[in-house]
Amino acid sequence: MNNKLLYIFAAIVVSATLLLSACGPAETPAPEETAAPTAPPATEAPPPTEAPTPTETPPCLIIGALYGGPITDAGYNQAMHESVMAIKQNIDCVQIIEAENVPDEAGATTTMENMIQQGAKMIIATAFNHQYPALALSQSHPDVIFEHAGGWEMGPNFANFYGKPPEAWYLMGVAAGKMTQTNKMGFVAAFPLGWTLTFVNAFELGAQSVNPAVETYVAFTFAWGDSAKEADATNSLINQGCDVITMHVDSPTTVIGTAESRGAYSIGFQSLAAQQFAPEYWISGTGFTLGGKLTWLASTVLDGSWTPIFLRCGMADGCMAMAPYGPKVPQEVQDYVNQVKADLEAGKIVVFTGPVVDQDGTVRVAEGEVLSDDAMSAVDWFVQGVIGSPK
Amino acid sequence: MSETTAAHPRSLVLRQKILNAAIRYAMMVLLALLLFGIILLISGKNPFQSYKDIFTHALGSAYGFSEVLVAMTPMLITALAVALPSRLILINVGVEGQLYMGACFATWGALTFQHLPAWALLPLMVLLGMIGGSLWAFIPGYLRSLGIVNETITTLLLNSVAPKIVSFFVFGFWHSPMDTDKTAYFVPAARLPTFFGTRVDLSLVIVLVLLVVFWFVMKYTRWGLEIRAIGGNPQAARRNGIPVNAYLVIIMCIGGAIAGLAGMAQVSGYYGLLLANFSRGTGYMGFLISWLSFGDPIGILLVSFVVAVIVTGGNLLQLTQGLPFAVINILLAITLFVVLARPTFLKEKKS
Amino acid sequence: MTLLSILGVISSAIFSGTSLLYTTLGEVIHERSGIVNLGLEGVLLVSASTGFAVTSLTGNPYLGVLAAALAGGLTNMVLGYLVVTRNGNQLASGLALMFFGFGLSALIGKPYVGAKINGLPRILLPGLSDLPRVYTSLFKFDILIYMAIPAAFLVWWLLFRTRWGLSLRAVGENADTAFASGRNPRLIRYQALFVGGLLAGLGAAHLSIAYAMNWTEYMTAGRGFIAVALVIFSKWHPLRAIVGALLFSAAVAFQLLLQSSGVHVSPFLLDTIPYFLTLIVLIAWGGTRKHAAPASLGRVYHGTE
Repeated sequence: MNNKLLYIFAAIVVSATLLLSACGPAETPAPEETAAPTAPPATEAPPPTEAPTPTETPPCLIIGALYGGPITDAGYNQAMHESVMAIKQNIDCVQIIEAENVPDEAGATTTMENMIQQGAKMIIATAFNHQYPALALSQSHPDVIFEHAGGWEMGPNFANFYGKPPEAWYLMGVAAGKMTQTNKMGFVAAFPLGWTLTFVNAFELGAQSVNPAVETYVAFTFAWGDSAKEADATNSLINQGCDVITMHVDSPTTVIGTAESRGAYSIGFQSLAAQQFAPEYWISGTGFTLGGKLTWLASTVLDGSWTPIFLRCGMADGCMAMAPYGPKVPQEVQDYVNQVKADLEAGKIVVFTGPVVDQDGTVRVAEGEVLSDDAMSAVDWFVQGVIGSPK
Repeated sequence: MSETTAAHPRSLVLRQKILNAAIRYAMMVLLALLLFGIILLISGKNPFQSYKDIFTHALGSAYGFSEVLVAMTPMLITALAVALPSRLILINVGVEGQLYMGACFATWGALTFQHLPAWALLPLMVLLGMIGGSLWAFIPGYLRSLGIVNETITTLLLNSVAPKIVSFFVFGFWHSPMDTDKTAYFVPAARLPTFFGTRVDLSLVIVLVLLVVFWFVMKYTRWGLEIRAIGGNPQAARRNGIPVNAYLVIIMCIGGAIAGLAGMAQVSGYYGLLLANFSRGTGYMGFLISWLSFGDPIGILLVSFVVAVIVTGGNLLQLTQGLPFAVINILLAITLFVVLARPTFLKEKKS
Repeated sequence: MTLLSILGVISSAIFSGTSLLYTTLGEVIHERSGIVNLGLEGVLLVSASTGFAVTSLTGNPYLGVLAAALAGGLTNMVLGYLVVTRNGNQLASGLALMFFGFGLSALIGKPYVGAKINGLPRILLPGLSDLPRVYTSLFKFDILIYMAIPAAFLVWWLLFRTRWGLSLRAVGENADTAFASGRNPRLIRYQALFVGGLLAGLGAAHLSIAYAMNWTEYMTAGRGFIAVALVIFSKWHPLRAIVGALLFSAAVAFQLLLQSSGVHVSPFLLDTIPYFLTLIVLIAWGGTRKHAAPASLGRVYHGTE
């Protein structure tokens, strides 16, 4: 009997402590600033039932950003994270709430809903899979602005933004075509997505422009970020004879690291931070540097002039950047690639200008035509010279 | 303690028992919260703030509570899929695979019969889901009834095969260049209807009905009697003329069918499409819940509720404390550990 | 199919099969003592993240490997406490451990996602140094790979040639009889879990420190369950586990080769073949009534108190 009373008493004490802590005036944690992009983030939002204390001014805009993977992945998610953080660096009164590792639809809905409940008035959804949950939420929350990266849907409070990777890929293809000695390049890809196939095609076309005999081998991992599979795929491509490896997965680090350990050249994508993983055999790479554009978008939300725009910007606008060359790239290759870059920016070269022929010989883009953006996202074929199945 | 005498009517004894049980389980939960709080402290987070976030979100708002129900529904269904076979001492740890196969079959229905109206398509998908799940359970059940292989092993093996079959279809026949690792969204007719603008869908109603049916069958029908007889002593049951082998296979298949229903509910209600590898242990969680509550419907409801509150709260912790969502699994696991370990000071005192 | 690509499949199989082999060896020890460890996935994740974190912090991959092995052994102790001391149900406790591993590994690994580490150094197989680089890089293995097959022999020797192994197998067959003959089943099961956990930790270390050289949540992608299937496939025998591990991982490497050769077979269907093989093998044995499983596998030992 005594024991039971003791337990009841203990239970009451512990419950009371919890309840007191729950109902008592909790301090509003100051929203911490994330310093350098390489530091792990620690953004906190004030708890929903508390009003900000009088000594702090409320933020002028709360932005919720969600990522499909970890923001320190030296890849897509890090590039997006750094772009979002640039908003805070440029507009100081903004507060940013972040959620990483939100890969699937249902989780995205939960996260975005929570962010809106925390007061977010602008949502930046960066993963491909976030598009439709964001679109659905934009319909039930007409007062919140939704920006999605890489999609195609539009709505009264829903728009999307992206870089222009195909021209960057063409440029990288030129560099790879110049550097390969076996005339075989390897491409590790996550999914047979229309955009991925477009990137592969652009890469091959760029390489073909300087080296007509070159081939690109494609290996799919069927996951945005499965490092064991990426290591497997890279090794398999190198075993097929490829000596330049590149990728379209979330994080390039495993592919680049594996290529480096086998002595193969690598070309990075998604984020410029990947170069450190291949100090010797790095050729070059491209990454998303959307900070400026996102800052502009946020400023339009702030001053009320936001309208839904299908925003695409490339190297010329500063949305995509090229990484420095690696130590093994000879000067004449660098000069040639720089020239092609200038030509692309000036519009003298347009990727996917016809004629473009696919693996079976069918003409996909006729002479004198150009592949449109819409068509690029629905591509289900590879150009001639690519070895692998597009389905 | 108390005995049933004229001075202590049965209702008083019952009240005592319920009180004891409530205190026991409350203590277990509190112990778990304490342990997780220590882990939070070590990682530099504020445990009080974290718990406040979890509970105010999950229980403090109508939307939060609806999210708890959304998280709870698949757990209820999978737990029931395990509870029924467990009465025959069948260990259906293959819920995970049956879930996938049910989702796969239901997706086929959704994608093939897009032009049917909802009142025809949805029941068709339910049927397909149940067929898929029970097919996947039939193999282990049949092998077990022949005495060849233990169903624990076969179901575990098939659990690994089912997601790959799903991936085969998602990346094969059901793939388009606009999708990554998922199919296209289902037509609205293929989506389970939701209630009051929340994400709670019809499957909650279905599973509650099923739980009641389960309770009723086990307690009041002849089948329930025979099932319990087999569960108690299979040899004696066989000698009494109960067709044990038939029960083994049929009950396993019904369990699989229920798990398949869970799969259908996931793709039709929660997701609205088929996502490769969509289940991060949902089936296994159902197994745990059923086991922890000894297959009792009320226990299943309570345990699922607690787990769902924790999981829903974990979503918010990610935003407010910067904890990866996966970390909430620690609290979940500790709660499970505490119940599994049955600390002696919490054990029921035998009178 | 060139020689290089065939050798490449073998090399790939060795690389990705090593972590599978260590994990399977660990599970063989568990199951020989009568415990099914369904939490292996969680144990692997905790070990992988711990090993990666320590490697990143100290810059020394060997310390990381050690840390991973220890983490594996210690995590298994949780299962030991639940199953051996508290007489909990093995399947449920294992699954709870799996969820625990999901969470703990995410907590440990979070600050280290995307970190660059010095992986385990790779040493060329002796005698091959004259070959061109693209070949030699196929056969540069790290120390864990070199030690994998010796480890299998070590486990075989432990189980079948030592007193401890004999006791362990006795406990796995019938714990009460073992107790009657003077052994301590509880202690032996704890020891089995610890040693098995060390091995599983080595397998996880190979994945995060030597092969993929990074850490992401859930990175083991089901290897824990594959190991459980492999144990069955190799009839609870450590030497057959070598063949099993190679077979399972060769399937993956082979499928990649097919992909880039333009052969159109679904990689997912190929992946299922090892499981169906295991199932068929199980049915075949069951038909002959020759069970190789330890008789008290999965049963709770209540002692004679």
